[in-house]
Amino acid sequence: MIEEENPVSTWIVDDDPIYVYGIRKLMSIRGANAQVSHFPNGLEAINQLKNLSESHQTPDMILLDINMPTMDGWEFMNEFAEIKPRLGKEITIYLVSSSVDLNDINRAKSIPGITDYIFKPVKGTHLTEIFASAQQKVNERIKKYGT
Amino acid sequence: MSFFEKGPPFGNDAHLTRLIDDLNVGFWEYNSVSKEVKWSAGFYSILGYQPNEIDSSAQVFFEHLLYYQDKPVFFNALHQSRLNQNPPPISIRLLTKKDGYQWFESTVKKQDDGYTDTVYGLLINVNTYKQQSIASAGSQFTQHEAFKIARLGNWEINTLTPTAITLSAQVYDIYDIQNHLQLNVEEFISFFEPPYRPLLQQAIDSAIQFCHPFDADLLLRSAKNNLLWLKVKGVPVIDDYGRCIAVKGIVQDIDSEKRKLLKLEQSVNLLTDQNRRLQNFAYIVSHNLRSHTGNLQFMVNLFEQTEEEEERNEIFSHLKTISDSLNLTIEHLNEIVKIQTEITNERKLVELEPLFKNIRSALKNNIESINAIVEYDFSQCTEISYIPAYMESILQNLLTNSLKYYHPGRQPVIQCYTLKENNHIYLIFEDNGLGIDLARHGDKIFGMYRTFHRHADARGIGLFITRNQVEALGGTISVESTVNVGTKFTIKLV
Repeated sequence: MIEEENPVSTWIVDDDPIYVYGIRKLMSIRGANAQVSHFPNGLEAINQLKNLSESHQTPDMILLDINMPTMDGWEFMNEFAEIKPRLGKEITIYLVSSSVDLNDINRAKSIPGITDYIFKPVKGTHLTEIFASAQQKVNERIKKYGT
Repeated sequence: MSFFEKGPPFGNDAHLTRLIDDLNVGFWEYNSVSKEVKWSAGFYSILGYQPNEIDSSAQVFFEHLLYYQDKPVFFNALHQSRLNQNPPPISIRLLTKKDGYQWFESTVKKQDDGYTDTVYGLLINVNTYKQQSIASAGSQFTQHEAFKIARLGNWEINTLTPTAITLSAQVYDIYDIQNHLQLNVEEFISFFEPPYRPLLQQAIDSAIQFCHPFDADLLLRSAKNNLLWLKVKGVPVIDDYGRCIAVKGIVQDIDSEKRKLLKLEQSVNLLTDQNRRLQNFAYIVSHNLRSHTGNLQFMVNLFEQTEEEEERNEIFSHLKTISDSLNLTIEHLNEIVKIQTEITNERKLVELEPLFKNIRSALKNNIESINAIVEYDFSQCTEISYIPAYMESILQNLLTNSLKYYHPGRQPVIQCYTLKENNHIYLIFEDNGLGIDLARHGDKIFGMYRTFHRHADARGIGLFITRNQVEALGGTISVESTVNVGTKFTIKLV
């Protein structure tokens, strides 16, 4: 069944190579149907989003870190808000961080583009849930628009 | 028994006699030759006696009636009157029958119709007035003392003469002016320090124009060059039409309270700063350690779920990396804790030039590899009382920073120099390197693990440590920078 579904295009925006390795590994262990790209900071991800010509290349889901060099997660969200109208499809953004600072958590809640705040280390069961709901969205979109 | 029975001095004016007897005043007459003394009925009655109850003699008067301390005054008046000088009324105390000593006003006159040896006088009981005036003098004295103790002076400006000002004696004391010069409003204001003069002038003007009361704490430089804080209050006095006709006010020396308050504010600021540093520290501890321990947990969990040897080896290599990172973070935290512990170290006189030269030669390889020019000029301040370890760390961090973020398109020039301005000593560090976009990163440049360039050596701790060291010793650090032009750090050391 899984092979017949379109994979969830997932961008990991994070400067920590160990986390990136871990999350990819966890996805494969959990059998997530994902197509993963990695960006070491917010700036590279934003530039890539701006340069995309085809809407089918835009990701379905972004797992965004807060603390990154050159452009952090908050700055990325500001930039993202500006280019969002030009993107052909809705992108689900999860803020993934080891910060348990209430300021960070409340700030994340106040940004409408952020779906949820996930604490590191990411749990396998949680990852499965995220992908299940993302897969559902992808399937619905395919049904509606065929792409 | 009537006053004039022994010979009427005014002729036989019976009705006048009765009138005089009924008056609540006492008449007496004294012949200095015959030593004869006459007292009117009123004389007896104001002393509380029946007429002739006591002998009317000079001896009785001086020995029994007159209070001994008032004798000289009375004798003096008698003497003056015999010399035909009209002495002014005097106040004396006489012993009454029932009420003890009471105050009387005594007037002494010489007969000027031939009876040259006779003096006469009259006594009026002025006890109530005298007591009131004594009480009032007492309360005035008390009030004056209170004002003196409170270091409180009055002033008043009449709007008819708005340049003139009336000042109480206490104001002159506070101003340290000996002779009570007549000051005008402008001079009154001119004793305050320059920044406070316009404030007071405006307050007085607005009290006169708009009937606004005011209350201000201002710094005064007295005539003896003492700086002290004064509270100046002013309240407008208005007429029936609501116009201000005068401004009445006080000045009070509040120097010690004000200075305590300022000190307290300083301590609060210091505490706030320290608290902020502590919170920052707590945040770093929680965040940085969490990111490593999170990864550690993550890898351990994956390790358990993986069977393949190759995968396990890879995970293990990550575990080693995490272990190193944890170590490094702990070291950084130690550096920060060290700042707090070293703060109690003694400040020593640090000579800047030899210290900077040492640091420069320690970084010689880095300097030469990018062919940088590193200049210094400590002529404005050659040495400073500072914690030597801090100064070394500050200079080293800033120099390392400038060397690290040089601009590859030109020869790097790094300048370090000191400035002296308004009792402050500044250390300036300038380079022509990559610069940084402060509009985007301004608040974070001194944060921890903030790196803004994709640089292999970027640790993101140097400036954090530098700021903590500078602030721990009561200084401040600020930065100006333009991308691709360069960066300038300004440190207020003291």
